[in-house]
Amino acid sequence: MFSSVKMLRMLKYLNYFQSGILLTLKLSAFTLILGSFCGLIIGLMRLSKVRPIRYLASAYINFIRGTPMLVQIYLVYYGLPLGLNNFWAGVVAMTIHSSAYIAEIVRSGIQSVDKGQMEAARSLGMSHGLGMILVVIPQAIKNVLPALCSQFVVIIKNTSLVSVIGMQELMYQTDTVRSITYLAFEPLIIAAILYFVIGYVINLLAGALERRLKTSD
Amino acid sequence: MIKLINLHKNFGKLEVLKGIDLEIKKGEVVSVIGPSGSGKSTLIRCLNLLEQPTSGDILFKGASVLDKRMDIDEYRQHIGMVFQHFNLFSNMDVLKNLTAALTYVKHIKRDVADAKAMELLKMVGLEEKIHAYPAQMSGGQKQRVAIARALAMEPEVLLFDEPTSALDPEMVGEVLNVMKQLAKSGMTMIVVTHEMGFAREVSDRILFIDEGIIQEQGTPAEVIGNPQNPRTQDFLSKVL
Repeated sequence: MFSSVKMLRMLKYLNYFQSGILLTLKLSAFTLILGSFCGLIIGLMRLSKVRPIRYLASAYINFIRGTPMLVQIYLVYYGLPLGLNNFWAGVVAMTIHSSAYIAEIVRSGIQSVDKGQMEAARSLGMSHGLGMILVVIPQAIKNVLPALCSQFVVIIKNTSLVSVIGMQELMYQTDTVRSITYLAFEPLIIAAILYFVIGYVINLLAGALERRLKTSD
Repeated sequence: MIKLINLHKNFGKLEVLKGIDLEIKKGEVVSVIGPSGSGKSTLIRCLNLLEQPTSGDILFKGASVLDKRMDIDEYRQHIGMVFQHFNLFSNMDVLKNLTAALTYVKHIKRDVADAKAMELLKMVGLEEKIHAYPAQMSGGQKQRVAIARALAMEPEVLLFDEPTSALDPEMVGEVLNVMKQLAKSGMTMIVVTHEMGFAREVSDRILFIDEGIIQEQGTPAEVIGNPQNPRTQDFLSKVL
């Protein structure tokens, strides 16, 4: 059963949690950046006027969203002949996974911007690309910020899955503490709190950004 | 300056424009009137290629703008457009709305572009709104900013697509006044409008369009004062 005495024993193992959380943050940071970049590209491809490009992006999104992330992690780690170490295999697998979801967020964001905005940009002599960069994408980002924020939190939580390929991130270290101490429950409480805190900070940051972008409303 | 030759536009099976021939001279103010669904908005949107015509040709200063070698982005810099729903960039303040195309399309220096924006805002009477965002302004103010934005590119022709249709009645006047001022300054204008008073007072020529063709055209006195075509008579009897 849970007891405060057992919780206090966790203090001895803080260095495990500390090294775990640092790796979790590192994995998350790489995945957020690469996943957002790839998601933007695939989302734009999904809206392309060229049919094969559109279909390709669509097929990618459907395939990735329809298969479990755990399977994707194993496939990248054992299957891709790139000789990736487990850190990069984890980052690549999570980037592949999250980019499909971010692509759909990007698509819905761009479609949420009034068509007249692009027409006005074109009528002033801007190219389609310039209109996207100056007018449509900034408005799309503002519209999808809440969805994007949820997705970022999901990515951070999903990093717990790459413990299966031996990444010593927070979940892996939590299991280590569990097996050292024979305590099944308490280390998980610590892990849950730590994941929650990271997610909460992301929510706060997104909220602050949203308020700043509100100046134009 | 602009010449349309047998212009057709289909949306799928629906034929909206059924052969428009038209020549607009420099400095001319042409009003386009007609019932809704008659094709007048499609016509004006074809002029700056927001709609791709199905067949026929558009000549700008003698050169076909439908030619594959034509740089459409460059052509559009000469053809300003004012929309029914203003379409101000909602992520930019008024100053950025006016200068974005100057800076990123014409590559004009920021201080020069800012000075030009200020001058145009004075002209439309909105210099105090320079740092306001579109959401903070009334419809009439937005439309005046939209006119200033189109003028910033120094276009040779200005297209208006029902510029006062989305405005509250008390704001129509302020927008029409700016347009009258522009017409007097010699700007070439093509105005799709339901404002018969404006059409009568300001235009050199009125086109009545119905069912995708120009049914009647002439001076305001001819078309509004003494319409010959039964369709024109019928339309005017409903709106006047």
